[in-house]
Amino acid sequence: MEAIEVTDLRKSYGDTNAVDGVTFTVHAGQTFGIVGHNGAGKTTTVECLLGLKRPDGGTLRVLGRDPARERRALAQRIGAQLQESALPDRIKVVEALRLFASFYHRPADWRQVMERWSLSPLARRAYGDLSGGQKQRLMLALALVGDPEVVVLDELTTGLDPVARRETWRLVGDLKRSGTTVVLVSHYFDETEALCDKVAVFARGRVKAMGTPDEIIARTGTASLEEAYFALEGTTR
Amino acid sequence: MKAFTALTVTELRLLSRDPASLFFTMAFPLMLLVLKRGESAPVPGYLAMIAAIGGMGALPGIVAAYRERKVLKRLATTPVSPLLLLGAQLVAQVTAALAGSTLLVAAAIVIFGAKAPANVPALAVALVLCSVMVCALGFVIAAIMRNTRGAGLIGMLVMFPMIFLAGAAVPRKALPDSLRQIGDFLPLTPGVDALTSAWAGTAAFFPMLILSGIIVAGTALATALFRWE
Ligand SMILES: Nc1ncnc2c1ncn2[C@@H]1O[C@H](COP(=O)(O)OP(=O)(O)O)[C@@H](O)[C@H]1O
Ligand SMILES: [Mg+2]
Repeated sequence: MEAIEVTDLRKSYGDTNAVDGVTFTVHAGQTFGIVGHNGAGKTTTVECLLGLKRPDGGTLRVLGRDPARERRALAQRIGAQLQESALPDRIKVVEALRLFASFYHRPADWRQVMERWSLSPLARRAYGDLSGGQKQRLMLALALVGDPEVVVLDELTTGLDPVARRETWRLVGDLKRSGTTVVLVSHYFDETEALCDKVAVFARGRVKAMGTPDEIIARTGTASLEEAYFALEGTTR
Repeated sequence: MKAFTALTVTELRLLSRDPASLFFTMAFPLMLLVLKRGESAPVPGYLAMIAAIGGMGALPGIVAAYRERKVLKRLATTPVSPLLLLGAQLVAQVTAALAGSTLLVAAAIVIFGAKAPANVPALAVALVLCSVMVCALGFVIAAIMRNTRGAGLIGMLVMFPMIFLAGAAVPRKALPDSLRQIGDFLPLTPGVDALTSAWAGTAAFFPMLILSGIIVAGTALATALFRWE
């Protein structure tokens, strides 16, 4: 079954074509990577998937529904971590988890979520006192507390130090093994290559290449996804 | 309903953890009362002041921060509407104003032997209307201003002169004529009037009607101007 089907998606802001005819599908249970440099249209694409932005053109189906029309119903089944979203500094970890659990008809047990993502020792810590990695761990847990079928993670590791980044990779690996469909947006080629079953390489609002990381690397005759990107863009480093 | 209750409890917790909010809604009015040696005449004005500090001094910055930090946008990805968070903030501000006011009135009666307010239900209604009214103005400021600092600053800049000119912090009798006339046009003035009348025993219909009108107009304006991101 397809969890997500995007056909010829278009969205512009004034005369910027942020997303300029993007097509891809994500199977249920797949970890799908959207990778590309800043301004490539990644966030705009996932915000259309989440029903936060109305596309100018194309069709979108998430779990068989149109996110622009059925955002509320879909929100019960989708979890999201948005680029640069934060919580009030004085809210405590345990309070945030309990609060977000109250939003859903059939949430996961927030205590288990807290335990599973190693947040229990931080339960009484205020959001403002968490490190960058701990904040992202909480945001990931909040994306999962509704027990979603599809999880969208936009720049989960941006701004984290290398240790916290690797730790976050491990968490996404766990999530993947649990069978959840994951859309992982990143401007890091290495993490996309390491974590994703299928990747769409974005540039200037279009998909430059799509397939498994190995396929894209083999097709371009390069050694890594990052090199593949530069080969596709016709530039050398 | 479950989500709204949880959001409201959270908003109240966050307010109670903010030292500035706590000081200005609880301790500061008590200090004024002590400075006035427990005189009860200015107390209704102080109640309006408590409401205004919350609704205009604090609320615009809080709401603008929710937009700037993408809390509203994050909520829009859940089954809950971000509008519910704004509603919870309103309920929390009104509750905080009621709590601060109860404390102040109790202190006036218990410590300084003031006479109890003559019409408690009318006083409560006037206080709720006054508090909702200043919150509506606070939402208008949060709607107009783009960033957190701007919204917080404008809230303060509007709130401070208003509590003086509307007779909340000092009686309008004490003001020079020209300044007193400005007070006639300020939205907090009917709040002070309604609270003062209720304290003395009368449910003043006209000021309460004006407050209701400002609530409707402010909410409409905020709804029209508000940007979610
Ligand atoms: N709200 C907006 N208003 C105007 N332009 C925008 C807006 N959001 C994004 N853009 C522009 O659209 C393009 C794609 O942005 P975005 O989807 O955020 O890319 P990415 O997530 O890949 O960095 C960029 O050129 C960006 O400047
Ligand atoms: Mg982005």
